[in-house]
Amino acid sequence: MPPAMTTEALDRHVLVMTIWLTAGLVAATLFHYGVGEGGPLFILAAFAAIIAAFAVHVIINIVFGGDFTTRELALGLVLYASALMAFAGAALSSDEIARKAFLPTSLGFLAIFAAVVFYMVVHSGVRRAFDAFDAIRSFRARQPAMPDRRGSSPG
Amino acid sequence: MTTLLCAAVALMFAFAIYVGVLSGRVTGAAGEFVNGGHALPPWVFIFAGCGILLGSLGLHDHFLLTALYGLQYSHVALGLTFAALGGALVYKRLWLAARMSGLGSPIDIVGAYYGSVALRIILLGLTVIFAVPFAALSLALAGDLIVAASGGVLARDQAIFVLAVFLFLFSALGGWRGVVYVVAAQSFLLLVLMLFVGAFTASAFDSLAVLTSGIKVMNGVLPDQIPGVMQYSAGIGKGESSGGIWTTLAIISFGVSLVGVVLSPAMSFLSITVRTRTGFAFHQVWMVAGLATGGLLIVSPLIGAEVAVSDPAGLQAGVTSYGGLIGRFASRDQFAALCLLLMLLSSMQIVVAFLTAAGANLLTIDFLHRYVLPDLTGEGRRLVARVTLALLYAAVALMAAFAPLSAAILGSVALSFSVQFLPAYIGLCWAPWISRNAVLTGLIFGGLLVILTEPPGLIFFEGLFLDLPWGRWPFTIHSALWGLGFNVAACLIVSLFTHAGPERLHREILHQGFRNALRGESRGSALGTAKWSLTLIWSFLALGPGAILGNSFFSKPMFTEGEATLGAPSLWVWQIVFWFLGVLLIWWLAYRARMSIIENAAWPRIELEPPLGQLERRRAPPWIALLLARVAER
Repeated sequence: MPPAMTTEALDRHVLVMTIWLTAGLVAATLFHYGVGEGGPLFILAAFAAIIAAFAVHVIINIVFGGDFTTRELALGLVLYASALMAFAGAALSSDEIARKAFLPTSLGFLAIFAAVVFYMVVHSGVRRAFDAFDAIRSFRARQPAMPDRRGSSPG
Repeated sequence: MTTLLCAAVALMFAFAIYVGVLSGRVTGAAGEFVNGGHALPPWVFIFAGCGILLGSLGLHDHFLLTALYGLQYSHVALGLTFAALGGALVYKRLWLAARMSGLGSPIDIVGAYYGSVALRIILLGLTVIFAVPFAALSLALAGDLIVAASGGVLARDQAIFVLAVFLFLFSALGGWRGVVYVVAAQSFLLLVLMLFVGAFTASAFDSLAVLTSGIKVMNGVLPDQIPGVMQYSAGIGKGESSGGIWTTLAIISFGVSLVGVVLSPAMSFLSITVRTRTGFAFHQVWMVAGLATGGLLIVSPLIGAEVAVSDPAGLQAGVTSYGGLIGRFASRDQFAALCLLLMLLSSMQIVVAFLTAAGANLLTIDFLHRYVLPDLTGEGRRLVARVTLALLYAAVALMAAFAPLSAAILGSVALSFSVQFLPAYIGLCWAPWISRNAVLTGLIFGGLLVILTEPPGLIFFEGLFLDLPWGRWPFTIHSALWGLGFNVAACLIVSLFTHAGPERLHREILHQGFRNALRGESRGSALGTAKWSLTLIWSFLALGPGAILGNSFFSKPMFTEGEATLGAPSLWVWQIVFWFLGVLLIWWLAYRARMSIIENAAWPRIELEPPLGQLERRRAPPWIALLLARVAER
């Protein structure tokens, strides 16, 4: 956390954490119950809770006049990838999860991905949304970071 | 379950301490520790205000009492709309008064407006009642709940002291801003979990007890009907009521007592420390009248019915508990039981954290800084606030752990006392003809009536003198309404004789400021008449004597011979219909009638009291100075 955080940034930070922690608890409960006695509807409801939290986060961004911070993006990607890998591992190792939860959970992950892509397209347009993932182009555009043979850095 | 609960509570406190540390870093000047620099964001008021109302209503008791009394008790949730109405009446003008006069606390504003040290002292006393016994009762209930959830693995005293230490820690780190952030976050959690637990109950249990067999209430209680407009009973403890005690007068007078939360010094302090003027209307219409009232009206019978089914022995004894329901939730899913527990714990933590922190800040601003240590610097004020906070938490924890009955007895008068300030706030915001003498006389009469119709007065009077012929809430009327009736009568009579005079000129300074700041908002007398007449009609039918019609209005429609089959009790449908109408009414008052909207961004400066430099007028009254000298000079 940068030391010189403004009160406006703190307002937004606390609100975002509040939304995600609450939605996380509800989603975890629904998923746990869905994998147990509840069935696929509860698993889908868990993902719906996450998508709802994402929508509220977008609304908060609009109200506060900002965008997702780099930390939020990184944390979101790491959590999504970790959850996906954990789910893949669980589905491969447990017949019960593969039988009871594979379809709704896969649909849930797809729905989250679709929601993010939809947001990016609506927010930035198709070209800018694609540019965000165009790593090759961004590598090409960047100046070489290594110093040249004479020992001075470019730029 | 114990491990899961401990982990969840630890996570909540880690979040709270994190937010506290961040708030402590962000807070600019040290003096802002006690008031957040009067720049709190509107969303914290929107969420926190709602959570504080639900917590002060006693969510923990609300479900248990619904299990005991059925729909006649859950009807009191409509009283939250009354509280929203109280907010619409007061907050906008109180906020404006603070900005125009530069005064920093509701105690300061009321004291300066009426020019009364006595009112300041009474308000400080009320602050302490909220901050210690009222908060201690919530902490004691939280301790009991943790013991019940852990099956006795965790000791009650341990739980209470651990909770108190962590609540103190983040409050001392984050100051007012940190506390309000955490309270707002917990309030959001509380609202979401309340809806979630209701929905989970509806979907996870095979047959909803409330719809299939009705709520299994105590013997002799009508589960889905209000037992009359009023009952000529001597009161709880002295007389029997047939069919239950929640008559329409009990319901409306309980609703009046909820206005006491809105008028409490802590809640008023929160309203004037918010940065912008937006947020009041949204809070009152959509959060309190909409989400909190509706959520509680729908969820409470669902959970209450399941509590009654889960604890038949307790039901017969008249003392239900959550033990059985937690077990049933846990048998379905451990996480679901955790959500139920966190919902209840959040409601109690909100009350403790908010009221204790507000109490410490108000005592610092309005007593210690004003009278005892007037030369405090910003750092000094922060230190004093932290020491006061520590002392209050020590008192709250000790009372919760070792004297929960005393906390319940003393805390029972907090809301009723608080609502006795309604004439004072009406005078401040709307009616300059209400004088200081009228307010003080009304407070004396109202306070006496409250004391004599609540346990503290009954126990004290009967212990010292003789048995009174009435008990608690005679004629099934809550002490808040007993007090307010006599209070308003006394206030009006005294105002007849004292409304003019030199003091009136002083009071008119503020009202002239309102007229200047709110110029252009007047929409004619027809709107004014409509405002009050519609509010009275709604109150009469939703909470007052007219609510008795709801007993059979939808099941046995008037002017017909037949009966309608709804699949739900008529009273429940009546409650939901008037919830919708209540939201419409508050929306109309708050937005359309501009009662909670401030259009002008600039307002005139007024001087209700000499500025800080003129110490002659700000010096402590002689009796306070003498008392301090006697203590300090020995």
